[in-house]
Order: sequence, then C-alpha cells, then structure tokens
Amino acid sequence: MRIEALLQFALAIAFIVLWVFMPTWLMSGVNYSISLTPWGYVVRFFGETYVIPPPTVYAVWIFAIGAGLTPLVWRRSRYSLYLAVLFSVLSISMLMDTILFQQRYLQFHGYTIAPTPTGYIYVSLPTRPVLGLPTYILLALTILSIFNMVTRARWLGTRVIEDPIVAVERVLKALHIEYSRIESGVEVGGIKIIRQGSSLRLVRGSEAIEVDLKTAIIETIKAGLKQPVSVGVVDYGED
Amino acid sequence: MATNPFKITLLISILSIAIALTLIWGTAQTAPNLIHYSTLSNDPYIKVESINVTANGVYIRLAVINNGALAFTPTGGWVEVVETGQVVNVTVINGTVIAKLPLTPKWVGLASVGVKGIVSGALNGSRAYIAFFDVAPIHIINTIGIADVSYADCILNVTLSVNTVVPVVIGPIINMSLFTVSTPGYYVFETIGIVNTTVYAPAGSHNVTLTIRVSPALGRYTYVYSCNYFSGFSKYTLWLPIGVTYMYPTGNVTSYTLLTKTFVVGGGS
Repeated sequence: MRIEALLQFALAIAFIVLWVFMPTWLMSGVNYSISLTPWGYVVRFFGETYVIPPPTVYAVWIFAIGAGLTPLVWRRSRYSLYLAVLFSVLSISMLMDTILFQQRYLQFHGYTIAPTPTGYIYVSLPTRPVLGLPTYILLALTILSIFNMVTRARWLGTRVIEDPIVAVERVLKALHIEYSRIESGVEVGGIKIIRQGSSLRLVRGSEAIEVDLKTAIIETIKAGLKQPVSVGVVDYGED
Repeated sequence: MATNPFKITLLISILSIAIALTLIWGTAQTAPNLIHYSTLSNDPYIKVESINVTANGVYIRLAVINNGALAFTPTGGWVEVVETGQVVNVTVINGTVIAKLPLTPKWVGLASVGVKGIVSGALNGSRAYIAFFDVAPIHIINTIGIADVSYADCILNVTLSVNTVVPVVIGPIINMSLFTVSTPGYYVFETIGIVNTTVYAPAGSHNVTLTIRVSPALGRYTYVYSCNYFSGFSKYTLWLPIGVTYMYPTGNVTSYTLLTKTFVVGGGS
C-alpha cells in the first residue's frame, strides 16, 4: 500500500470529519446566518433554526469517500487513480452546486421587512460569505489525487536500495517472476543469489562464483523466464 | 483477470456522472419544497403614547412596544404631524422617544392628530427601522400657579405664573383667605363671596399680577383682621379659589381652580 494513496485517503477522512464540526460554506451574520453542514443548510433566523437539506450535499461527502477509498480498494490498475480524480472533481462540483443552490433558492438581500400593528419594521441583516476550512481540505484532496494520477502515486520518490538482494527482488516482482526467499538471498529456478557481506555470490548447483549486482539480476531473470510466468500484484502497474 | 480496468473505470465514471447530474436536476426540482419561508413574528412596533400641548411646545411621546423575545432599542428617528405638516427629529432619553414641536395656533383647534415617522435603532443587535402611523388624542396642558405673594397696607399682590396655550382671563376670586401657619391659626383676612377682580394673560408663558385692596368694600362678608402681617408670625398660607376662562377658538371655557401658596415673610420662621 503506497503512502501517497494513504495520504489521499487521510485527506478524504479529514475533510468529512472536520465538516461535521465546521461548515464548508457560511453566510455569517448577527441574527441571520446560513452554514453548510454534511446534512444540509442550517439557517438561523432570530433564534429560530431550520435545516434545509439539498440532496446534492450528500453526494459531496459520498464522492469524497470514493476519492479516498478507491486507490486503497482497487490497487491493481492505475485506472483507480483516474477514478479517484473523477470522484474528487465530482465532489467539488457537488459542493459548488450546493453553494449555487443557496445563491438561487436561499437568496438573501441583507434585510427583512415585517408588518406591525402601526406600520412596518425593516431590519438590516448584513451577511458575509466565508469558505470554511473543510473546503480547502477538499481542494487539497483533489489536487493530491490529480498529482497521484500523474505520478502513479509514486511522487514520494524511490528509496535508495542499500540491500542488493532487495533490488533483485524488485526486478523479479516487476517481471512477475516467482522466486522464494532463502536465508540472506533469493532462489529462482535452479539458482540462488546469496549475499555475503558486501558482495553477492551466485550459486548454481555446487558451483559458487562471486558476481556484481548487474550480473546477478541478469542471471536471475534468465533462470526465472525458464519457469511458467504467473501473475503477481504490482500496485498501479497495469495500463 | 479478464475484466478490462478501462471498461470498469468507464462504466463507473458514466454511472457516477449520471448520478451527479440526476442529483443536480432533482435538487432544482425539489427546491421549492425544501426551502422554508419565515418572517418576524411578535415584532416590536411604535405607538403614540401621548401628545401634550403646552405653552412651551408640543411634546409627542412614542412608546416602543416589545412583545416577545425581540427587543428593540431606539436610537433616533423623525416624526411628522400630518395635520400641521411639522417634521422634527426625535430625541431618545433613557429609552423614551420624545419629539418636541413648536406650538402653532393650529394646535389649539385640534382634538386628535395623525403622527407618522420612522424610529431607528437596533433589534437584537441588528440595525432596524420602524415605520409607523398612529392617530392619538391631544392633551392641552395649561398651568397657572402662584409665584409670589405680598401683603401690606391691606393691599394683596399676587403674582401668577401663567403657562397656557390660549389667552386666559383669570378671575373672579371666590372665598379667599390668608392665615398663619401655626397652632392655632389666625386669619389675616377672609372674604366670603365673589371678588370681581380679573386679569388677562395672553397665550404662552407669562407672569401677571393681581392686585386686590382687601377691605370691607369688597363685600358684605369680608373680615380683615390686620392690614399687615402679624408680628411674631412669619409663615402664612394664601387660599385663592379662582375662576379661569380659556379663550379657545371654538369658544370660551371657564373652570374653577384652587390656588394655594405657603410662604415665609421676613427673616426666620
């Protein structure tokens, strides 16, 4: 499991958890305010509170979960990263559409007028639109998922391999060659690569010669290709 | 695995985009039922509490009626009296809204007036304006009091302070008396019957003086015990039941009132 994908999942979870506690979108005011929560718009008007649930608001966090979860659940193909990007973009689109819902149907001009027994009362209720912190996290999630898509979730860099046996193993894994780990080395087909101190030894039957890393890899591939190729799992390896 | 990841992705993409579009459309369709209209209820309003017409001016007092949880705090505004066309700004003194207008002759002939205007202030911390129109009766307030009394050589001088909206004729005097404030009390003089002394005061704030020669000539039942203050007594009370005729444009109105004044003469008590 790639750390990059885990990070993407963590951002999705952070977005949803944070959203429970603070609104993604807010029209703040003294006696009138609208805040967007995961269950809809919470409208406060002179001490009264109403919840207006536009259906799109549920899609926001469902798509956000999808964007975080897809790369973890479906690791075989890089298409899962593409799908995650689509989900995160859809999540933002749904959020924008929900905000547009407020602009269209919960439109507020900054005042209210009510009749009284002798005339009218005009109350000025100025509001200030504020984008909440969860929105920025959702934005970060989208950017990260796009970045993960472009880099195939490998932007944290390839680690410098200090153990030559691990390097050999990686090549074998990438080529889907079956091998078995033995003590301080690997065994492929009839040959073994054994690490002795800082040097590698190639053991074929009773014969043992000292080889460099390049030769060791070539020899193991040669031996591995002689055996039936089976399918292994490489994260986001397939096209 | 035989399934093509591209096909799966395409299928899920189309499906999720379709869901998203359906939701957008559905939200727009259900919006009129989702939204909730609300207006202020039990909102505060303005009533004209009293209109007092005095010689110094017309005072209109406005009452802010807060019924419910909403509290309105007035800070300013203006009123217009429809009948006279006067427009003035209001002043707020300790939460009471008062407008003071100059007195014009028109006020004297009115029984009630329509008052309209706007009072600005704060409703639970939000800036608010209350527009109102209210009809209220007028109270005409005329005051006449004794400002000063002097009595010497059987001549009584009474200075009256007159605050009236209309011209008045003060007099006659019925059963007046001057006596010491002591136990027992002693009469300086006393009259039984009508003393036909009158004085005229124009509308507004004025001091007028009534001068009465207190002697049996005033009437059969006039008892004069002394032509000056008694020696040894310094505190006296004057009882002055008097008739006042208000000269309204609609006709003269006469009313009787009791004016009294307790005063101290000379030094000491």
